[in-house]
Amino acid sequence: MNFKKKLSAGEFVVLAEMNTPKGVDISELVTNARRLKDRVDAVVIPDMDNGVMRMSALGGGALLRREGLETIAHIYGRDKNRMALQGDVLAAYVLGIPHLLAVPAEPMANGDHREAGTVDDLGEIDILKMIRSLCEGVDMAGFELKGAPELTVGCAMSPVADDSQLAQEVETLSRKVDAGAQYVVTSPVFDLEAYGRIVDALKPLRVPLVANVFLLKNVGMARYISIHDPGSRISEDMIRRIRKAPDREAECIRMAGEAAAELKNMVQGVKITTLGWEHRLPDILSSAGM
Amino acid sequence: MITAVRKPMEEIIACVSPYDRILLVGCNECVSVCSAGGRKEVALLSSALQMHFLKQGKTIEIREMTLERQCDPEYVEELVNYMDGADAVLSMACGCGVQTIAARFREKPVFPAVNTTFMGASERQGVWSERCQGCGDCVLGITGGICPIARCSKRLLNGPCGGSTKGKCEIDANVDCAWQLIWDRLKALGLEKRIEDVIEAKDWRTSRDGGPRKIVREDLAS
Repeated sequence: MNFKKKLSAGEFVVLAEMNTPKGVDISELVTNARRLKDRVDAVVIPDMDNGVMRMSALGGGALLRREGLETIAHIYGRDKNRMALQGDVLAAYVLGIPHLLAVPAEPMANGDHREAGTVDDLGEIDILKMIRSLCEGVDMAGFELKGAPELTVGCAMSPVADDSQLAQEVETLSRKVDAGAQYVVTSPVFDLEAYGRIVDALKPLRVPLVANVFLLKNVGMARYISIHDPGSRISEDMIRRIRKAPDREAECIRMAGEAAAELKNMVQGVKITTLGWEHRLPDILSSAGM
Repeated sequence: MITAVRKPMEEIIACVSPYDRILLVGCNECVSVCSAGGRKEVALLSSALQMHFLKQGKTIEIREMTLERQCDPEYVEELVNYMDGADAVLSMACGCGVQTIAARFREKPVFPAVNTTFMGASERQGVWSERCQGCGDCVLGITGGICPIARCSKRLLNGPCGGSTKGKCEIDANVDCAWQLIWDRLKALGLEKRIEDVIEAKDWRTSRDGGPRKIVREDLAS
């Protein structure tokens, strides 16, 4: 059963995030992707993740499609105007990328091309509405398309630090769902109890939730996120667990696997993010029993 | 100067119609010079609104004020004694003025009566043209005093493009090709060799692309 069918049938979906290379050497991407075949329902391909110039998500998606994997490409408005975005949506469909995920973009100031101009012609909600319109056969200027794409579209939830921010985010997500988002990928989960409250708050949206399982790779990373993103709720216990482990890397993998396994009882899917450790995705999946 | 044009009457009316007492505030600076929101325009708009609501059988109280500068908190403070008597503020200043009032009087709705349009210069009586986009890294010194960012339709730094015909831009026969102007001016200055220099891709961080900008002068800041 493919990703779309599983999503609408209420079945659990497993997604893995894989970045494209900064260059044209695709060997690592292809090798890592092949190891995920039949183990994940789809591979999520970010576009210029963290504002770093890389091969486009469209290119990466088409490449992995050739390898027999279903792909979900990120789409956002920082770098392209409505003309280019619509062109990409049409291209994605014919290149075999039937799923898009509308995400917020990292500010240009935080990326590796800080001097670049930003576009920001369309925001996330505009993009979702634009995709829906293209799927209905009409572009943003009202012109009829010669053949309309059929796409599954998701949206992203921003991290929330407290209840008032959560209430605000639920409102934003509700507008995204109204604009056509069929599922929500939530922010990274480190505290399952707190996440339970988020899941409850998102229930009225009545769309599948996919939890982001974010691999903490070391103590420094865990500490950094816990300080700079108070909403992450990374506990001292978690940091201590990594620090005291005889094999810290293996412990990190185990922790991500445990989180994924537990989330199976809470939401309709997980997206595993490793930020450069894509070669460890199979180990995380094994640890999660997936 | 910052130029502006008055919003369509229907839009202004839709904003203020729920209210009975309006404080209509003009500005003596840029919008006054470009005849969009100075004392005279405040009086004209006030009369037009009075007439409209009178025809509708509604009495509306409009107090007219024109501040020296709406973008300066010191001048905006002059409104403090009139706020209790107003249900809403209608500002005829540029967006900077509207926001200064909104920031000072958080409990009052503030509506813009003009559309802030561009930073421009006066060509002749009643005609203003865009001259600057505030990119934060001025290139006028190498482009003969003509800005390609504000005046070339494609913001080309190494023009002209193929759409330049007889000195005009392909978007409109009434629009000058900025790069033709730059060429003519450099030639007049005897600097035409400069056109051969390639200007590097622009660093947009100093422009709006780097996020909202702020100037802090340590020698002046209180």
